[in-house]
Amino acid sequence: MRRLKKPKINTSYEFDLDLAPLLAVMVKLVPVMLLSSAFVQLMIIETDLPQAVKAAIQNSQNDQPKATVQLAISQKQGIRIIVLKDGQQKESIVPLKEGTFDYLALNKELMKIKTENPTVFKIEIAPEASVNYKEIVKVMDEARKPRDKETRFPIYDSKENKMIQTDYMFPDVVFANMMDG
Amino acid sequence: MGYGRKKYESKAKHNSTFGLNITSMTDMFTILLVFLLQTYSTNEVQIIPEKGVKLPISSSESNPIKAIQLTISKSELKIEGRKIASVNDNDINKADIDKNDPNFILPLFNELDKLAKELNNQPAPVKNADGTVTKDPNVKPNFNETAIVEGRILLQADSELPYSTLRKVMYTASHAGFPKLKLATVVGE
Repeated sequence: MRRLKKPKINTSYEFDLDLAPLLAVMVKLVPVMLLSSAFVQLMIIETDLPQAVKAAIQNSQNDQPKATVQLAISQKQGIRIIVLKDGQQKESIVPLKEGTFDYLALNKELMKIKTENPTVFKIEIAPEASVNYKEIVKVMDEARKPRDKETRFPIYDSKENKMIQTDYMFPDVVFANMMDG
Repeated sequence: MGYGRKKYESKAKHNSTFGLNITSMTDMFTILLVFLLQTYSTNEVQIIPEKGVKLPISSSESNPIKAIQLTISKSELKIEGRKIASVNDNDINKADIDKNDPNFILPLFNELDKLAKELNNQPAPVKNADGTVTKDPNVKPNFNETAIVEGRILLQADSELPYSTLRKVMYTASHAGFPKLKLATVVGE
């Protein structure tokens, strides 16, 4: 009797994946993404220009007298910080360091002022005419947040009725000498 | 008996089509796609940096919003891409400054004033008896309508310009009813 022949089964499961449709999708997607990509990311710094009427309205609405912090930026002397609180004026100077502004010292000084006045968020900037725009932006950056990432300042959240922590120091910038002649 | 030499015939098939190996190309495209996805901008407002303007680097995290766009480079002052005044030696050209006020840029004030007046002259929407509001179909919706009403300006200024030049722009804008100034910066350290 003839023996049954065992059928040969191909045990090799290798096959080529057809990548052509995937590549077709990619080729279409790449130009779309290239067109809508932002290679230079732009942001903005929000500032308010002083308006006499606006300031008067705000002052009349404020029940509690708050402290005002002003930075007088001078190319020769450095940055003069003037804090006006309860009718008393306190001044400190961050002198120039090797001919340029000492931003690290400014940040430390502003941190100290923020710790003393946690409810103040507005800062008035009064640069001299010769101060460069990029230096003004750097001063704003130093005033916005502390360099030490772990430092937080307590503020009262009236909605939640509790104290919360924030890393913002003086994000609200006003050009104080804008309207001067 | 002579054996004729049999011509050797290759068994290889003469097929003109062949399978292209596109695996490596797909790899490349995948990496490119991931990179582009990372740089994909989802902002509502897109700002195109002006040629010749080197914006200052800042750590600000506020996204751009709709506003009247002012650009001041070392050679010219532009509003919404249109040149309105010249800049010489990092200062506004004297011919464009008001004779009675050294901080007042006349062409800038005129342009901003014109924008505000155009908005005011638009016919007011008609309120129907059923409470619905109908707008005149001939009136084209202005992209910067809210920016004009709220007095918002987005300033793209060269980082090397002195404050005295910027101050003139801010001063004039404030007088024209645009007190909310947004300074465009580049993300960096």
